[in-house]
Amino acid sequence: MLQKDSPIELSVIIPVGDRHSDARALFADYEEGLDKLAMHYEVIFVLDGPQGDFAAGLQPLLREHGNMTVVTLTRSFGEATALMAGFEHASAELVLTLPAYFQIRGSEIPKLVDALQSADAAVARRWPRAGGRLEQLRRNAFHGLIAWITGLRFRDLGCGARALRRRVLEEISLYGDQHRFLALLADRQGFRVKEVDVAQSALDRFTGHYRTREYAHRVLDIFTVFFLVRFTKKPLRFFGMVGVTTFGIGAVLLLYLVIDRLAFSHGLADRPALLLSSLLVVLGLQLFALGLLGELIIFTHAKSIKDYQVKEVIQFTHAQLAGNPENEAVTP
Amino acid sequence: MDNHPKLSVIVPFFNEEESIRPLYVAIVSAVEPLGVSFEMVFVDDGSSDETVRIATELAVADPRVRVVQFRRNYGQTPAMAAGIEHARGEILITMDGDLQNDPTDIRLFLDKIAEGYDIVVGWRFNRQDKLVSRKIPSRIANRLIGKVTGVPINDNGCSLKAYRASLIKEIPLYSEMHRFIPAMASIAGPRIAEIKVKHHARQFGKSKYGLSRIYKVLLDLLVIKTVASFTSRPLIWFVLLSLPLVAVGTATLGWSLYVMIAEHQDLSLPVAGTGLIFLSSALILVSGGAFGELVYKTSDMREHHFARLTARLERGYTSDTEG
Repeated sequence: MLQKDSPIELSVIIPVGDRHSDARALFADYEEGLDKLAMHYEVIFVLDGPQGDFAAGLQPLLREHGNMTVVTLTRSFGEATALMAGFEHASAELVLTLPAYFQIRGSEIPKLVDALQSADAAVARRWPRAGGRLEQLRRNAFHGLIAWITGLRFRDLGCGARALRRRVLEEISLYGDQHRFLALLADRQGFRVKEVDVAQSALDRFTGHYRTREYAHRVLDIFTVFFLVRFTKKPLRFFGMVGVTTFGIGAVLLLYLVIDRLAFSHGLADRPALLLSSLLVVLGLQLFALGLLGELIIFTHAKSIKDYQVKEVIQFTHAQLAGNPENEAVTP
Repeated sequence: MDNHPKLSVIVPFFNEEESIRPLYVAIVSAVEPLGVSFEMVFVDDGSSDETVRIATELAVADPRVRVVQFRRNYGQTPAMAAGIEHARGEILITMDGDLQNDPTDIRLFLDKIAEGYDIVVGWRFNRQDKLVSRKIPSRIANRLIGKVTGVPINDNGCSLKAYRASLIKEIPLYSEMHRFIPAMASIAGPRIAEIKVKHHARQFGKSKYGLSRIYKVLLDLLVIKTVASFTSRPLIWFVLLSLPLVAVGTATLGWSLYVMIAEHQDLSLPVAGTGLIFLSSALILVSGGAFGELVYKTSDMREHHFARLTARLERGYTSDTEG
């Protein structure tokens, strides 16, 4: 680290969840890359729940480093919440988030930070990537689905290494497990987001196999993205479409049954299809009503949910024009 | 420049590098002779061309120009909403950035507002656009919008409109509602006037905001109808919606029971089940209405909030209070 009295230029936030490496080894690796930056930086560890062994490993580090903060959350809130908790203590203009286990080589950190010169956020993509064919397939399927839903092609949303301008975290509200979607949400807010290829750490190896629960979580993640990104302000577009479709299918079936009854005297009483069709009609109606309720909620909160992000407001006063006309824009 | 001019002219721009300077000149030469203090709010909707640079040049030369720059392209409704939010005048006039509206019409709008109207909308009486692809669909759309919302306006698509700022700043604008601003504002019961305006053919560039898909317009229309006519009474509305379900459900279930009891047959499961489905669905709808009530109770968008916006005050006065 450089001299202590210069202002902090970079805040490094490391959220520590259940999956973590040894604190000393990890930080030594990151330090190598951070020192290459020649920036005055601070490090904020956020322990998401009391991670005993990691906390113990941090004690000697705390003694050696002045600009280091450890925030301990009482229970596990999720990585995104931990990130935001850490961000509350960050003072620098640039923020770097790093995973608590080896994902990228520490020496690659400057690449990420440098990318901020032409972007508001830079997310790492581990490349070239280790791992078997099955894992690759699974990864491609996940990111392909996300790209299909959002129209944004990111290839490594699971990587925790990201460099961000302060504004990005100030304007995005993240909670629970939404850290994976930071890049998507930032892009959605109109920030320029870049994906940067960085070398994968040799220690980044997931040895266990994914349990069914893990897959279920990823599917739920995709649903989350779907609602976060696509339908937040237009519930009726979604529920209305599904509702009308369901209603339509049910109505056609019902019509067929009624015609069958009237023209060909097929008794309705012994046709289970009657149940199905009326169920569909009613379900369609319910979905539609749900969409309308959603619209009511949006309408009543429309003033507080902004549809757009203003980059800056440019206006000059007479005084400014008389003096120095070239700069000074007022930002809201 | 005082911070609260009488008039704000709001113009959203999206890639209009050729139009912005002529439009600025036209606005200034049209409004300056009127003798009212005014500002121009230019909203840049994430243009990728020279629009921002030219707008900034205009701002440097003229303190009455305020440029609101978006981070990226968001669309026409957000651009309008941002312009309205950042405008500081008492009367807001919105117009297109493509020179199709004529700033000399602004005078007419100001006159109408002075007469006491809250919203004045332009009607492109002599519209310079293609007949089949633009004029006919828009005529149908306007009829429909007028019928559904109860605000009969000949030309909802005309951007040239004037609003009383105190009213329009309180009306939520989102999604693609720029087409329906008067309808949306009708929640507050404003006095709306319509005047014929000039319309020029496009000089530069191409039309950016074409007719989008019809279903979006239809759904938006439905949303406006819902929120506008039932602002504070979702429960009543949902109860009304559930009445046909109750009728069908009761009839079906009753018939199946009647057949069972009177004619000593087995209960028909499909028929009785259908009746139960309809009845329970009605129950869920009514619950939905109660949920809607909760939503309104917890928000500040109550009807009296809107009523206040357009209410006119007259205070009593007697001669002896003055003494």
